[in-house]
Amino acid sequence: MKKSKTIQLILITAALASCQEKKTEPEWGSGNKTYVRGDSTAPYARTHHGSGMLGVALWYYAFRPYGNYSNGRYSRAGYYSGAIPNGSNIGSNGYKAGVTRGGFGRGGYSVGS
Amino acid sequence: MQRIQTSLRNNWQQAVEKLGFGFHTTDVPYWDESAYYSFTLNEIEQIEKATNTLWELCLKAVQHVIDNKLYSKFHIPKSYISYIENTWNDDVPSIYGRFDLCYKNGKIKMLEFNADTPTSLYEAGIVQWFWLQDFDANKDQFNSIHEKLIAYWKYLKVYLQPGKLHFTCLKETLEDLTNTEYIRDCAIQAGIDTKLVFIDDIGWDENAKQFVDMEDESIRNIFKLYPWEWLAAEEFGKNILEDSNKIFWIEPSWKMILSNKAILPILWELNPDCEYLLPAYFDDNGMKDYVKKPILSREGANIEMVKHYGTIEKTNGEYGEEGFVYQQLFELPDFDNNYPVIGSWIIGQEAAGIGIREANNLITDNKSRFVPHLIS
Repeated sequence: MKKSKTIQLILITAALASCQEKKTEPEWGSGNKTYVRGDSTAPYARTHHGSGMLGVALWYYAFRPYGNYSNGRYSRAGYYSGAIPNGSNIGSNGYKAGVTRGGFGRGGYSVGS
Repeated sequence: MQRIQTSLRNNWQQAVEKLGFGFHTTDVPYWDESAYYSFTLNEIEQIEKATNTLWELCLKAVQHVIDNKLYSKFHIPKSYISYIENTWNDDVPSIYGRFDLCYKNGKIKMLEFNADTPTSLYEAGIVQWFWLQDFDANKDQFNSIHEKLIAYWKYLKVYLQPGKLHFTCLKETLEDLTNTEYIRDCAIQAGIDTKLVFIDDIGWDENAKQFVDMEDESIRNIFKLYPWEWLAAEEFGKNILEDSNKIFWIEPSWKMILSNKAILPILWELNPDCEYLLPAYFDDNGMKDYVKKPILSREGANIEMVKHYGTIEKTNGEYGEEGFVYQQLFELPDFDNNYPVIGSWIIGQEAAGIGIREANNLITDNKSRFVPHLIS
């Protein structure tokens, strides 16, 4: 009620703009597009977007899934967005000594309330 | 309150996807613009008044629970009690919550309060607003969610600890990520320095006794779309109590009291004359028509609806171990087998707007649809 007529969305608009600018998949470490890579010890193969029916369908999404194929079945590992720092996405930060990770997040698939 | 059938926009999928709304359809439709709900201004003002009143009652109820040490009714871990009390006494900020209301025959009744990890904020604040711009831009909507989020982040900015405001949610859920990134978007627009880290990736530095992000940057403030009861139960939960940074977790831990359905009998006991509350107890109290709800549950799981002493609806799930509450039955209104529940948002300290989810049965579960609304 009494909402202003102008709404700006910085993060999400930027993520979408980033998706539309890139017509081809960049190589690792190049360009602005980044990839969520939460755990540097977990193996996965990056899937390709932007081609085929799935790519077209996902073109406007701010957040895109990534995952891997195993025994012919696709398993989603998470989502990435251009809003996440590169170091986080590809796990390039080698210094993790003394830090334990993975203690949170086992509670469920989605909070959904 | 009327339910009106209407036509879909020709390009509705593209229209909502351009907003970053990627979970409009799962195995069943979630975003549903084949109908909308129309309210009079008077009806909206009633909902607004009810929401503000309920929020005040909830805050008083938290104080009552703390004063009387009623934690066992909530199955809150003993190790967390002093921590919860500290966050309450220190006014650690809360940003939002969503009351689920039933509006029928001119009466508004609170069904429950999603105080800790409410979702559907993006649908309510953004997606239905842009639907209205396409449908009839001259009409209004009970929806100042976006403006109030930005305004409240601006207000809270000076109360945060020095450093970034991190945002976190589960990695594998697009719905949670969208909601979290939307709230972060509003914080950025409020001038706050933010950073996203998935909850699965948060690290614990044992030497410094601090939580860190993926770049090993110390976390000082964090918004989490992840329930307190899960945090407290997990391996890392004990570290929250040892954290040398004393992180501002938003929502704060005192929301464990309000997000627990044990608050329903407490609210009723304290306010038996409140027109917005339904009688609720820790046993059936001789009621012949009631809804039995686990004190901790999600998405309509493990709910049993009893009428004339007989079960009329029941859902399965994995909840209930911690106990149940019993709330007098107040059936949702029936619009040709569509049963809407009104999610009424409190942002900061004020009613901020509504989002409506409807199901084809009386229990609103994870197959419910989000339907837009307008003020006629």
